[in-house]
Amino acid sequence: MRTHHFVETYEKHIALSDNPVTWSWTGLLLVALVVFPFATSNYLIALATTVGIAAIGAIGLNILTGVTGLISLGQAGFLAAGCYTTALLIADYNWPPELALIAAGVVSALLSLVVGVPSLRLKGLYLAITTMAFSFIITHFLLYAESVTHGPYGVRIEDLGFLGLDLASPIQLYFLVLAVAVIAAIAALNILRTRVGRAFTAIRDHDIAARVMGISLTQYKLSAFVISSFFVGIAGGLMAFQFRFINVDIFNLLLSVEALAMIIVGGLGSVAGAILGAVFIVLLPEATREVIDLLPTGITSMLSTYIYEIRGLLTGLTIIIMLRIEPHGLIGLWRDIKRYWTHWPLSV
Amino acid sequence: MDLFLNLVASGLVIGSIYGIIAIAFAVIFKTTGVLNFAQGEVMMLVAYVSWSLGTELSLSFPVLVIVSIGVAALIGIIVERLFIRPMIGQPIFAIVMVTIGLAVMLRSLIVIFWGADAEPFNAAIEGGLVEIGPVVLFTEQLFAIILFFAIMTAVFLFFRFTRIGIAMRATAMDETAALLMGVDVRRISALAWAIAAVVSGLAGITFAIMFSRAPDLWFQGLRAFPATILGGLDSPLGSGFGGLIIGVIGDLSEGYIGQGLKEISGFIVIIIVLMVRPYGLFGEKELERV
Repeated sequence: MRTHHFVETYEKHIALSDNPVTWSWTGLLLVALVVFPFATSNYLIALATTVGIAAIGAIGLNILTGVTGLISLGQAGFLAAGCYTTALLIADYNWPPELALIAAGVVSALLSLVVGVPSLRLKGLYLAITTMAFSFIITHFLLYAESVTHGPYGVRIEDLGFLGLDLASPIQLYFLVLAVAVIAAIAALNILRTRVGRAFTAIRDHDIAARVMGISLTQYKLSAFVISSFFVGIAGGLMAFQFRFINVDIFNLLLSVEALAMIIVGGLGSVAGAILGAVFIVLLPEATREVIDLLPTGITSMLSTYIYEIRGLLTGLTIIIMLRIEPHGLIGLWRDIKRYWTHWPLSV
Repeated sequence: MDLFLNLVASGLVIGSIYGIIAIAFAVIFKTTGVLNFAQGEVMMLVAYVSWSLGTELSLSFPVLVIVSIGVAALIGIIVERLFIRPMIGQPIFAIVMVTIGLAVMLRSLIVIFWGADAEPFNAAIEGGLVEIGPVVLFTEQLFAIILFFAIMTAVFLFFRFTRIGIAMRATAMDETAALLMGVDVRRISALAWAIAAVVSGLAGITFAIMFSRAPDLWFQGLRAFPATILGGLDSPLGSGFGGLIIGVIGDLSEGYIGQGLKEISGFIVIIIVLMVRPYGLFGEKELERV
């Protein structure tokens, strides 16, 4: 019987994984993700692209909320900032898309400093409301500063290429998003196992105690904001590539709530959890639609009128059920299952 | 000058609504430490039920108000029992997230049940104009201001002089000590939710009478956040006055600076206020021991 997995050196303890089995499974998953688009329809590829973008954003939010414990209800604002930056730079200023995507991350990160500085004095709920306020202010600016942002008319970008990829093709866009998502996941995992990541966790667990241990709250809270918003901004930029016509309407409060739902469902503070949560929350309305289609036509047409409401209903219900049943999220569930198998037949 | 006075008056009207909702936020926060993100939705639910009662049974306005108060208290108690009570002992973050989930859920349920169309909310107080100097107000607008001051007085008297009110303050101050003194702490939480539902429900009904019973009513709950932050989350009366300030600032900035500012001026104000006083204007600074 396997006992626990022991490590002997500090290097091994903070390594991403010293377990060859984990590495090979991760490799297999990557191969599957690369092969996947050649075997399915364009619709599923587009859905997978959406999942990928959501995963990047969720990884970013998880660094801020899950790891550092700073609750943000303003993800829609940062996402909108990134999305509009990319779209406007391409449509109005003819920037190359590669630079415009990076600019999305940078602009979003800079904006987060504006939120981050007042938030240094705020805790918990006050911070959640401030971030929400900022997201309203950002979307308000996007709507009313018509000379810069096209206001209510939205921004359209033409077909574009990215490092030789043609983004009009769903498969090639999918590969771009997959690549960025993999980079984002690896970057986040590496940040979390360094001094910075441990400082974030310390701040979440007790900020005064963290300060006593020599962690500069100013520096690390601001870095959490900047790093997190950079991810979210990049996700926003990719959204511009995917939609190619963007409007301020989609960046509403429900989007911020869905982002929080992703990390709660997936597992707070875990990169894999954020990805699982993104998969779950994006696929939930799709799965519901499949189920609804199986029902008698009368019910189907009634339900399809309220598809947006049903989406909200499910998001809310998922948050409540997950918090009550499995506060550690899907990743916690997975760990429990794994522990059960390794300890079998002695598991409880 | 007339424009200024009229802007202040309309600001006071909408500010009264914000203030009443802000009182509801503060009552729950003060007694349970939870910021109820679903307050706007609870308010909306009360207004919708009250609208249905009013149109189906064609009750007279005073009767409707009394029935609505009962309904609102019931809604508050049910919501607390179903969603908040099972979460006791969990971190505050989890409970607040439950209220966010609840908010999204209620909003959708209301639209599915009542449809997405706006309907007028007819009541006996509607119609007439009241002139106070250069300021002209509709009766229902005046009603909003009167309701605000009535609720402020009631809340003040309740927390100051009644046995239950004092028990609630004691619970807010130290839950364990209150428990040892024989206060039923669990019932206090249900009571706080009931009071908040009644208070915000009245605001919702008044707002629906002034404008219409529409599925974006919940948004008034969000607009009241700045009020309660400004006044201090743990101070019901401070939150009430915060509402008036936010309402007046909103209308003045819309009137003098630019269109659309009404919606976000409150949020801009609280960001500035929180930079100076992170616990609100009338809130108490929280001392933390390590």
